[in-house]
Amino acid sequence: MKHHILRSFSLVFVSVLFSSADNCSAENWPGWRGPNRNGVTTDTGVPTTWSASENVLWKMPLPGIGTSNPVVWGDKVLVTASEGRDQGELHVIAFDRDTGRERWHQRLWGTAPTLFYGRSGMASPSPVTDGKRLFAFFGTGDVFCFDLDGGLLWQRAIAEEYGPFENRFAAASSPLLFEDKLIVQCDHYGASYVIALDQQTGANRWKSDRPEVWLSWSSPQLVPSGDRVELVLSGSEKLDGYDPRTGSRLWTVRGLARECVPTPVIGHGMLFVVSGPNGTHFAIKPGGSGDITDSHVVWKNDKGTSFVPSAILAGERYYLADDKGIGSCMDARTGKLIWKKRFGDKFTASPVSADGKLFFTNESGSTLVLDATQASYEEVARNDIGEEVYASPAISQGKFFLRTATNLVCIGKKERNAVQSAE
Amino acid sequence: MKCFVACLMLVGFAWLDAPYDPAPHLTAIAKSGPQGEGSATAKLARDELAKQGVDILPPLLVAMDTSNAVAANWYRTVYEEIVARELKRAETKWPIEFFKEYASDAKRVGKPRRLVLTLLDKLDPAFRDQWLPTRLDDAEFRYEAVGLALAAGDQAVKNKDDATAKAEFRKAFEAARDSTQVTQAAAKLKSLGEAADAVSHLGLVVDWWLVGPFDAPQKTGFATVFEPESKVDLEAKYRGQGGAEIAWKRHREADTLGQLDLNKQLGATREAVGYAYTEIEVPREQAAQVRCGADDNCSVWLNGQKVFGRDQWLNGTRFDRFITPIQLKAGRNTLLVKICQGPQHKDPEVPNNWSLQLRLCDADGRGIVFQSRLTEKTGSEK
Repeated sequence: MKHHILRSFSLVFVSVLFSSADNCSAENWPGWRGPNRNGVTTDTGVPTTWSASENVLWKMPLPGIGTSNPVVWGDKVLVTASEGRDQGELHVIAFDRDTGRERWHQRLWGTAPTLFYGRSGMASPSPVTDGKRLFAFFGTGDVFCFDLDGGLLWQRAIAEEYGPFENRFAAASSPLLFEDKLIVQCDHYGASYVIALDQQTGANRWKSDRPEVWLSWSSPQLVPSGDRVELVLSGSEKLDGYDPRTGSRLWTVRGLARECVPTPVIGHGMLFVVSGPNGTHFAIKPGGSGDITDSHVVWKNDKGTSFVPSAILAGERYYLADDKGIGSCMDARTGKLIWKKRFGDKFTASPVSADGKLFFTNESGSTLVLDATQASYEEVARNDIGEEVYASPAISQGKFFLRTATNLVCIGKKERNAVQSAE
Repeated sequence: MKCFVACLMLVGFAWLDAPYDPAPHLTAIAKSGPQGEGSATAKLARDELAKQGVDILPPLLVAMDTSNAVAANWYRTVYEEIVARELKRAETKWPIEFFKEYASDAKRVGKPRRLVLTLLDKLDPAFRDQWLPTRLDDAEFRYEAVGLALAAGDQAVKNKDDATAKAEFRKAFEAARDSTQVTQAAAKLKSLGEAADAVSHLGLVVDWWLVGPFDAPQKTGFATVFEPESKVDLEAKYRGQGGAEIAWKRHREADTLGQLDLNKQLGATREAVGYAYTEIEVPREQAAQVRCGADDNCSVWLNGQKVFGRDQWLNGTRFDRFITPIQLKAGRNTLLVKICQGPQHKDPEVPNNWSLQLRLCDADGRGIVFQSRLTEKTGSEK
């Protein structure tokens, strides 16, 4: 049983990590924060310097707004957006990875638009793909499943089925894939729940109500723990572990912020969880049952927590840029602060990492590149794209994809490619 | 024999020429619904429909006039595919008159009407500008139409044409349902010396008797029943927070949108409950809505019956946050509202708001006509 579970878990990640429609050796970026939902990829050859004109392979305008990160699979880059007075006009667009040409574009209606943040609308949740299907969840409480040629396969208006989301910034949780299920965290002021949908049909596989939970924007995470895999949800002053096969709750850690946004990351057999502002970093050993606050918290640190950006784990070190632009680096095993630095400007995007580098993109569109192989603060470059950025970047197949407030920009080392722009 | 073969050929050609009937495929999509039900069938049907030309757009748009959100999106994928393909063909004969009638039919669902208007922008670019200003009574396009009237009024002011400006602002004010547009139009009318009562227009309740704070540790206030819930007696004295004696006090709220600040009226505090009470008179029995928002939360009793209550905390008071249908009786109606105040957020920088906003309106958002009965201490019942 243990082997079966671990093999299943591994298969999910292995398929996400290495599958590609055109057999490219480089990694895809299949969903929120990449292959392992932690911002890190094994991709290589990623550029470390660029500007609004240097190393820009192509740039394409996006309809409406959104802060979902681009998803890259094979030769397609997939993006969601929303527009309209109530942001109820939804878009799912596939661009050609190499040229930026629009391959397909689906326009759909959102069922129940909520209040929203002016930069993200209803397109905060990042879509996710297994290479065969693309699953897109929107703040309107709608889930759509497409084939990778853009054909709609099924849809769920879960806001209509279980009540409209009450959310002042629109739902932002990015769904994840586990085995044959799509798992969506639906925490809001109304009746909160986490739901697992059948990837093939969209039907419920399980639904677990969270009556004690209110608004959060965090995304779920999966963590291997002994002979099982645990689904981890952050929100409402706590972190909950669930069985992703049944939706039954396993354990709880208390002490998080009231409203949680960052997504937990995993490594060294631990979960790293942050929420704020003025919150606490936690390193937690998964497993156990019931309230594991006193038994499973390895370390805590209440310095430099963020409200929106997630943290990143690179080797032995744990990095974070808070909303106000203060960067910090901690020892992942102890929580001890290694350095703290003012990065400059504010941050909404979460950092990404490849090729031994860390990329922190601020709201002005400047990406700070750090050397992740050094314990000390080693700045490699600062690259200004010349446009505001609120979405987390994607890295895939040697290219860096930046979603600015208005455009999707593909950055790469120029070889045969000429700069293309629809502007 | 030759004749028989010819007849067979005619029947065959007639069959081949039979116009495509989209009804079965439209019906198949209409059956899609919750839990992803009907998706496989809907996909097959939409693929067939999408092969057709603009002839099927009228029945497709009629089918899109549905409350089934799932079916509507399946239909939309067909519409988008046909429109994108046909826009590339110069010879396409679009059913433009049908589109105009469809867009103008305010009884239909708004979203597909808006879709058609966007297509008309391409097919008849002049249509929108002459049509949109006429949509003041159209729930789907009212916001834009009111915006145009406000802009026309502003232009008239610049042209020093006060008569036109007043007419445009009045038109905007009467049609507006959005609270920002209502207050904007009212302010513009007032700047030209015209009366405009945004409070009445929106049906905001601003005339209250208030009492509190009652002591409610942590978040116990929502479930705890204090004396006013059993009986409203405006002469009564109660034991309030900290043992202080509290009594009903009259208050008329002056905020533009009727938002009561209970920290000001009942005292800045935490972990407490306050009550607001009013009596209104309406000329006839009527269906209406109570629309309210409160920080931290509120419960509402109409004529002694609880009609709304939501156990939520640290919400913020937002306009029309909660909408509940009610039935008002002819004559006097009583409204009692309980407003809870929870503990201070652990971040001391988070404001400790305690507030209420409540209005009575029709389903369209227009305030109902009522008169306050609070001329003296009249409360005598729950």
